[in-house]
Amino acid sequence: MRFLAPSVRVRLTLWHAGVLALVICIFSVGILLFVRARLFRGLDEQISHDLATIEKVYHEETGDLGELAHRMGITRFQVVEGGTVLYQTPGWPPAGTTPYRFGTFADASHRITAARDETALRQTLWSLGVILATGLPCAIGLAIGGGYFLAGRMLSPVRAMAETARKITAESLAERLPVENSQDEFGQLARVVNDTLSRLEEAFEQLRRFTADASHELRTPLTAMRSVGEVALQRSLSGPGYREVIGSMLEEVDRLTRLVESLLTLTRGESGRIPPTLEMINLTGLAASVVEHLRVLAEEKEQSLTIDAGAEVSATCDPAILRLGLINVLDNAIKYTPGRGTIRVGVRETSSGEAAIEVEDTGLGISAVHHGRIFERFYRVDRGRSRESGGAGLGLATARWAVEVNGGRIELESEEGKGSLFRIVLPK
Amino acid sequence: MRVLIVEDEKKVAKALRDGLEAEHYDVRVAGTGEEGFFLVNHESFDLVVLDLMLPRRDGLEVLTTLRKRGLQTPVLILTARDTVDDRVHGLDSGADDYLVKPFAFPELLARIRALLRRGRPDQILKLQHDDLAVDLVTRKVVRAGQSLELTVKEFEMLEYLLRHVGHVVSREMLARDVWRVTARATPLDNVIDVTVARLRRKIDDPFEKKLLHTVRGVGFVLRSGRG
Repeated sequence: MRFLAPSVRVRLTLWHAGVLALVICIFSVGILLFVRARLFRGLDEQISHDLATIEKVYHEETGDLGELAHRMGITRFQVVEGGTVLYQTPGWPPAGTTPYRFGTFADASHRITAARDETALRQTLWSLGVILATGLPCAIGLAIGGGYFLAGRMLSPVRAMAETARKITAESLAERLPVENSQDEFGQLARVVNDTLSRLEEAFEQLRRFTADASHELRTPLTAMRSVGEVALQRSLSGPGYREVIGSMLEEVDRLTRLVESLLTLTRGESGRIPPTLEMINLTGLAASVVEHLRVLAEEKEQSLTIDAGAEVSATCDPAILRLGLINVLDNAIKYTPGRGTIRVGVRETSSGEAAIEVEDTGLGISAVHHGRIFERFYRVDRGRSRESGGAGLGLATARWAVEVNGGRIELESEEGKGSLFRIVLPK
Repeated sequence: MRVLIVEDEKKVAKALRDGLEAEHYDVRVAGTGEEGFFLVNHESFDLVVLDLMLPRRDGLEVLTTLRKRGLQTPVLILTARDTVDDRVHGLDSGADDYLVKPFAFPELLARIRALLRRGRPDQILKLQHDDLAVDLVTRKVVRAGQSLELTVKEFEMLEYLLRHVGHVVSREMLARDVWRVTARATPLDNVIDVTVARLRRKIDDPFEKKLLHTVRGVGFVLRSGRG
């Protein structure tokens, strides 16, 4: 397996060495051919020179050819005139193991052939070949060794990252990959992975909080049911007494049921299993109907609940889901605004051309430290207040889902003690 | 009226049997789909309450087979699966109504009454209980000769309570049938409680005899006297 899929380090090295070997080979062959051509041209020039000298002697003093041969030493030659050999150096034509290079000069009357020993030239070429041939493997060996070392050095951040990543589990998401040089490719990769880890850590943290909160919320009614039941069993009660006990237990069952329903809706919604059926709807009408729906609650608290809508504003969304969201926001406003307070619902078009539904109250307000988490499931500004007001802390989370699934966003402007403004912004 | 309950959860089956017998129904209980299938084929019932999650033989499968054989008896299915697909699938398989677990018992009774009543014309124009009278056409409410002013929602709620007179009505039933809110996660209980309180202020507070009662932990009932 390792052989079939070698490591990046090995592949890098092999590629590197392979390319280098190819370059060196081409280069060596080029040098050999070039040097060979140069040497032979030099030899040929010498032979031409010899031929010219022989020619000159032949024209001026044919009898001196023997002396010329003696003086020229290494050059062997033959002069033929009209089919008869006029002169030839001893041992012509040169034969045996020693290689010779020939040159010929001919015209109508005579023909001169000269030969020079090319052993030295061949030896030079051979030595060059040997030098190149022994140098090549050495160079490639060096390239492999150096490349392997360098690739290892380069890839060491990857190894370090892998080492750290191997240790990261759901429990140790706080760990981060080492970033050696934040500018190079590996540094960028490490940063991207680290960002992903941060998001994962946050998601896990939310999940952990959610699980803890959910079990707390589920346990509370269970505990109430259990203690009410157990205490009732220990005493001997009358008929109405038992009714009271059972009624009290059923109330908790009701609370539990509602909690499970809300959680289920939210979980389904957030995992995208409640696809919105989009249609063009009149937001003003929808807001008015929600206000009428909840008006009795405001009236009970003697709050002033007004709807403030100018021109008709429309948006494309799922009316049932958006309605659920708005009911939750308005219910929340009524719940946290004291008696005789004012709640204003406004529908308008924003300057950027989006549709907005605003719910503004003169309630308790929400301190800035809670703004970031107020839309989280089970998050409450005041943990102690939850039981009496009856909410489970899912209303605003549901509202956020309901708005976001419709492609919108929900914003909060609030100052403690001065009231809050929730704004549902929807694309048109 | 003979009712067959097909439900494998023993506690739920027993509660259903006791509750329905208290309402004077003649109840048989089957613990498995096969047993239910056998009973339907050999005895005659006016209504079947069928749980969908049954051991060995799935409730929907039983229902489909029964309908293929031409069974006309109304079937109400109980299911813990409440997505729209599940509901549509259940109704397509031949169920007449469905109820999602956990359900309120008064609601089950109301559904059973509605199914048994089905086919009979509903042309009631006036509802009356004790000295309280409601005219559905003119939308006038009179108690002991005294005319009462109700808001639209109060009127609809009173009408609903009168149609279920003597029977407990749960908040879920009111939310769905009076407010027509289908999403069960909608925070509506406060609205319902406030509306009940206001209705009571109008129809009960000025009078000696109270008609609208709260059954703690269950819902509301319109009847004369505590009993």
